[in-house]
Amino acid sequence: MSAISELSTLKRRNGPMTAAEKKANGRDNKAAYIFLLPWLAGLVAITVGPMLMSLYLSFTDYNLLQPPEWVGLDNFIRMFADARLHNSLGVTFTYVFVGVPLQLGVALLIALVLDKGLRGLPFYRSVFYLPSLLGGSVAVAILWKQIFGTTGLVNQALAMFGIQGPGWISDPSTALGSIVLLHVWTFGAPMIIFLAGLRQIPVMYYEAAKVDGASTLQQFWRITLPMLSPIIFFNLVLQIIGSFQSFTQAFIVSGGNGGPSDSTMFFTLYLYQKGFGQFDMGYASAMAWFLLVIIGVFTAINFIAAKYWVFYDD
Amino acid sequence: MALFHRTESDAKNRTAETPSTGAPRRFRKTGVVAAAAAVVLALSACGGGASPQSDGGPVELRFSWWGSDKRAQLTQAAIAAFEAENPNIKIKPEYGDWSGYWDKLATQVAANDAPDIIQMDEKYITEYSTRGALLDLSKYEIDTSKLDEAALNAGKSEDGLTGIAAGINAATILANPSVFKAAGVELPDDKTWTWEDFGRISAEVTEKSPKGTYGSAAYGTDEASLGVWLRQNGKSLYTSDGKLGFEPSDIADWWAFLKQLSEKKAVPSASEVVEAEAAALDQSGLATGKNGLAFWWSNQLPALEKAAGTDLQILRFPSTTGKAADAKLWYKASQFWSASSRTKHPEETAKFINFLANNTKAGEALLADRGVYPNSDVRAAIEPKLTPADIKVIKFIDQIKGELGEAPAPPPKGAGAIQEIVKRYTSEVLFNRLSTEEAGKKAVDEMKSAIS
Repeated sequence: MSAISELSTLKRRNGPMTAAEKKANGRDNKAAYIFLLPWLAGLVAITVGPMLMSLYLSFTDYNLLQPPEWVGLDNFIRMFADARLHNSLGVTFTYVFVGVPLQLGVALLIALVLDKGLRGLPFYRSVFYLPSLLGGSVAVAILWKQIFGTTGLVNQALAMFGIQGPGWISDPSTALGSIVLLHVWTFGAPMIIFLAGLRQIPVMYYEAAKVDGASTLQQFWRITLPMLSPIIFFNLVLQIIGSFQSFTQAFIVSGGNGGPSDSTMFFTLYLYQKGFGQFDMGYASAMAWFLLVIIGVFTAINFIAAKYWVFYDD
Repeated sequence: MALFHRTESDAKNRTAETPSTGAPRRFRKTGVVAAAAAVVLALSACGGGASPQSDGGPVELRFSWWGSDKRAQLTQAAIAAFEAENPNIKIKPEYGDWSGYWDKLATQVAANDAPDIIQMDEKYITEYSTRGALLDLSKYEIDTSKLDEAALNAGKSEDGLTGIAAGINAATILANPSVFKAAGVELPDDKTWTWEDFGRISAEVTEKSPKGTYGSAAYGTDEASLGVWLRQNGKSLYTSDGKLGFEPSDIADWWAFLKQLSEKKAVPSASEVVEAEAAALDQSGLATGKNGLAFWWSNQLPALEKAAGTDLQILRFPSTTGKAADAKLWYKASQFWSASSRTKHPEETAKFINFLANNTKAGEALLADRGVYPNSDVRAAIEPKLTPADIKVIKFIDQIKGELGEAPAPPPKGAGAIQEIVKRYTSEVLFNRLSTEEAGKKAVDEMKSAIS
């Protein structure tokens, strides 16, 4: 440190940057900024601008039709007393903390099977990946609605065994479950990443373990899981962040109202209803920032916890 | 295959892609620039509101409505007729479903990008009027002399004449006679039936029909049938000073009766009710022959007949006394023609609305899709063009004229949220998650805060 500062003062003493040098330096920066401009414009106009606007709106009473009115922390205080908001938090947490582990579990399981050197692997990989591409789409959510309806595919199948299934999506006790299932079904993206991770575990570890007489299960616990932990961590962080923000599936499956009886009323869906349905955009903005805080907290927890279970090989 | 032949370091790079603590720091400086830019953007957006009025040159107006495909066709024909008479004005249609319509409209108005002509509903007109989003049409050249007085008054408020009724409507129960015939049950006499009759007959139809077919659809998915029930019991949805016109016990009674209906299977199961809510008109229980009776607005009969492929019959609501006059129905303005207060071409917009309301050519295109024409001249002129279904609707509207109750108070600001609240607590009740009393209390609390 001291050597470097000495060096720089030395340099300055010998001769400060000439005007020409400065100019050249500035020109370099300018060029960089010009190249950055398209991205910067997008960031400002599409992301940062609206975000700042929503931060401002979160402190206002804004009904979309009239100019916003400053109300300070009112919106945030109102959240404490909003029973429907608390319910929507419950729904969202259930979705995240049931859906994500299930989905990652399935993804890992399928990845392990595919990693065994199946013939026609590219085909299976594509087939399993497909739901990930489709799962968030409106079309699949509509399809889901058909499959799990009172007279849908599932109940028709059950009827063959003489079982009268409930209206999976229209019954408050099963509606959220069917959306979680839809989420689990889109295990393809984490599966591909798991597969990639599995491929990187050096074979010699397994060979050595085998020589020492380790069982398959022991190999999985002692080699695969620790070696894969950075990948698991990566998937976990991404999926948790994504799941908190999940919107489309619940919106389509419930017809936009989070029903029946608010059982699929995700936080994001409630936010949307408040903002666009009930002309309460100030409150909706406050909710959005609250969600950001929640996601931030859980991501931080994730990173802190990672120190204790994620194993880096170097 | 190449995808999997990653090196160890590649994998590390992947994990490094997760949000790292470094990223926000980098953005902090650009954040300041961004804030400045956002202000500039916001300012320029505000400035876009008032631009000089163009005179004489071609004008393009945007016209948005909700409704079925059939309505879209009819409305396009009306637009074509207007454009033929006014070559300088182009009308650009924007239409969609009821459910998405209001979200979109709110966003457009907020973005200062509202359509010039807006199809408006009574649930939302106060919301928009009191907030200055709608043009006072009385200041422009629109002939209102031939319009039905009650319908005209429905569009008037302290904020002026912000909507011209597009049609006249009434709440009805539609019957599918083929369901009754198959069950061997006779259609009820709607001049004398009571709610008890309604329940008994519906249960009988269910009993004598194949599995999955019910005597009646459930009410409780919107507030119209609640309004009828309350009126028959001396209450109302809203009072004239914009408050709720009923108590928790009133709505609890309404749900208690629905529960009775549900228990004797006069109406579909709770799950089926929830599914039916989301179905479009063509997929509704009445259209698919799964319900013998269902709650609809009178103007929806032609579209429903088309979807069902069979004749339907319009019935009055049952009453508590068995007298048609105690059914307490009313004429509703089915929809309004409204204009954005920020339209750049108010004259032309008013001209188009005037055309829709008063011109026979518009009437010949629109027929009775938005209800019975409020303009008596147009109504008479288009009679020969009407379909049998349209005529059925008009006849019904005429028949009940002498039996109507007094006009209900207009829905106050925030009334757009009521339907959702009614619907949600109806399913709480049907799924036995709340008692009718609890649901009544909670629903009324929520409604009060929605319209306050």
